[in-house]
Amino acid sequence: MSDPFNGLQAVQSAVRVDGKQINPNNVWFSKNFNTTTNQWNYYFNLFDANNTSGLAYTIVFGANPLPPVFGPLTDQILAAGQPFSLQVTATDPHTVVVTFPSPFAPGIRILNDLPILPRHKLEAALKAGTFRKAWGLDTPPALMAGLGPFLVSEYVPGQRVVFARNPSYFAKAPDGGALPYLDRLVVEIVPDQSAELLRLESGQLDMMTSEIAPDAYAPLKRAADQGRVTLLDLGVSRNADGLWFNLKPGALGGDPRAAWLQRDELRRAISMAVDRKLFADTVFFGAGVPVYGPETPGDKIWYWPGLPQTPHDTAAAKQLLASIGLTDRDGDGLLEDAQNRPVRFTLLTQKGRPNLERGAAVIRDELKKIGVVVDVVALDAGAVIDQLLHARYEAIYFNADKSDLDPGTNPDFWFSFGSAHVWNLEQASPATPWERQIDALMTRQIASPDEAERKSLYNDVQKIFSEYLPVVYFVAPRIYVAHSVRVTNLAPSEYRPQLLWRPDLVAVGR
Amino acid sequence: MIRYAARRLAFALFLVIAVSSASLLLSRLAPGDFVTETLGARASRQTVEEQRARFGLNRSFGAQYRDWLASAARLDFGYSMLYDRPVRDLIPERAANTAILALTALVCATLVGVPLGIVSGSRRGGALPGAIRAVSVVLLSMPPLLTSLFLVFAAARTGWLPIAGMRSATLPAGGAFLDLLRHLIVPAAAIALPLAAMLERLQSQAMGEVIAEPFVLASLARGVPRSRIVWHGALKAALRPVAAVYGLIIGSLLSGSFAVEVITAWPGLGSLMLQALRTRDVYLVAGCAGAGALFLAGGTLVSDLALAAIDPRASETRAEQA
Repeated sequence: MSDPFNGLQAVQSAVRVDGKQINPNNVWFSKNFNTTTNQWNYYFNLFDANNTSGLAYTIVFGANPLPPVFGPLTDQILAAGQPFSLQVTATDPHTVVVTFPSPFAPGIRILNDLPILPRHKLEAALKAGTFRKAWGLDTPPALMAGLGPFLVSEYVPGQRVVFARNPSYFAKAPDGGALPYLDRLVVEIVPDQSAELLRLESGQLDMMTSEIAPDAYAPLKRAADQGRVTLLDLGVSRNADGLWFNLKPGALGGDPRAAWLQRDELRRAISMAVDRKLFADTVFFGAGVPVYGPETPGDKIWYWPGLPQTPHDTAAAKQLLASIGLTDRDGDGLLEDAQNRPVRFTLLTQKGRPNLERGAAVIRDELKKIGVVVDVVALDAGAVIDQLLHARYEAIYFNADKSDLDPGTNPDFWFSFGSAHVWNLEQASPATPWERQIDALMTRQIASPDEAERKSLYNDVQKIFSEYLPVVYFVAPRIYVAHSVRVTNLAPSEYRPQLLWRPDLVAVGR
Repeated sequence: MIRYAARRLAFALFLVIAVSSASLLLSRLAPGDFVTETLGARASRQTVEEQRARFGLNRSFGAQYRDWLASAARLDFGYSMLYDRPVRDLIPERAANTAILALTALVCATLVGVPLGIVSGSRRGGALPGAIRAVSVVLLSMPPLLTSLFLVFAAARTGWLPIAGMRSATLPAGGAFLDLLRHLIVPAAAIALPLAAMLERLQSQAMGEVIAEPFVLASLARGVPRSRIVWHGALKAALRPVAAVYGLIIGSLLSGSFAVEVITAWPGLGSLMLQALRTRDVYLVAGCAGAGALFLAGGTLVSDLALAAIDPRASETRAEQA
């Protein structure tokens, strides 16, 4: 039902015409965006299991208790259905209630995306319907407020963001002293990582904002050995670049190659044909570990060491391809299909990302050894994504990083209707039996409150994934970061910005 | 003369509109857009469409261009999607930074290149003219891109100079102006060195030709000191070819120091345009390209006026042509 107050008032009571009081937990708010009118539509939803005769309800809205505040919380998919907006309500000045319409195992994990906003600064904008535009890049820093260790004090577009110490920051140092230790934090916007590295090495920068590129490791190691910088190994990345084919039925039109481009055997053969050790040596200069599934050894919770590992075996790969009619018919070393057409496809990747470009080149060279010709085409990221969204591609080698550690908060990737189910986006119903199986397992995995059961269910998902290989992963890189020797007390994380994970604890020596 | 100036202004206007429009068209027609470039592979189709609608990218290019042109006529060049503010607010600050860098480089190049050209052009032989010529040839063969890479590397290794940006994060003891000067050295030198070499070569050749003129020989015969002839009489005559290209140099410097700006992270039009291109911020691309074209047109105009001041025959010829 349409919400007459656009989410600004709570439901005080919902009563069925026969007098039945509806449990407040069975009333929730939602919204969706109408692209035609370019506006949000607000709804309130009511669940009443026993109403089979279409009885009407009386809904009373009121501002007391406090009206629900809809923060920009990402819509979550709680089960195999449509995305859901959560109801976030401030019931009193010290309590925030987040209502989940159904069991959701990751639970409060999603609150790391929930900003707590100052009512005195934003309430007027919320009431005026201009909340989304209230704070933007052009908002003077003095008009903003925050709870973190630092507050924005200056923003110069394209040049720098300056953060000043927040004197009201709530956390205290272990000795009871005030945090943060730094008075100011300046984030300089530099054109690329080479410029960032030069500035770090010359002492004009204190820390990098992301992991270093593999080819920058050697010069930084030398600088570290000379005591000019500090180099940290943060372990194996939780994300690996992956290769996938366009598995959307009919996406390749009348192209006769669709008969083998969308076959499971092709992807299995590719996984066997690529030497992951060679891949790690060439793409990551040895600083990488082989990966056979969606999780890497960097993930200590969800990685499953028992996952079957594809051996590097070009003979077996050729045999697999022969089983789908791809053999060398004219003895030129390259494979042909049943109609004697060459086995050849185009692989899109992102331009300007050396890891992806080198990785695509290794895939091309490795597949040539089994007679498959790959034409690598490097495009801007936006162009690759555009091709992906319109399903106008044969294969893509790209990074589709997970948005969170818990698979339950990555339903867009796992569910067949998901928007990041990259090999076949947003399906109306699962296109294959194995995707239907994954949908069912993930539905249980997301809802189960038992962590052991969730792990077991997710292992099953990984097993199916590694069998059908909708995305073929090869190697996960190790993460290295660097900072100047004067910076101390860092609490690094594998996630960006690795060295500013706890900016309140960072200190600099004299 | 007024008709001539009006024609030049009309040409400048046409150049700015043509360059901006072409930039808008090309960046709009290339696959992908600001939304796909910034949201990444995990954005849902719905989110992408919402954002496209928000930025007006879901409309046809014709409708988008028509609205942009109508706004541009009111000096409103659209809204930068990347910086969430009007393009006309972003361009002046960055253009001023580019102008500071380019004009500093130009002044340095002129102060070094022209006198050295006079010295090397007014003497037939000797070690000094030979050395000047050799250094100029080396510098001329190094484009500003390479020079800036070399200088940035040297500054990073020695730690003597800042290698990027326009000012320090913390204001140093010498104050803001000294800080700016220190930051200017690397990028300005990267532009100025090849430019000084070019001016030296031009001036040297022009001076060599003027020195061989009969009026110079006659002046020497009348006992006028050689230095007076070189630095007064001959210099004015020899400045004409340099003045002819000077305006073009100004225009191309202001619109073409982009590579140096990018390498040295100088916050000028070049780095702004690169960011705009990377993120497919179409209105900002058009704005930066238009500003570059404006500089070029202005530089050409200055060149013509300077030439007319030095050699009135030039303005008469142009006026006749007009």
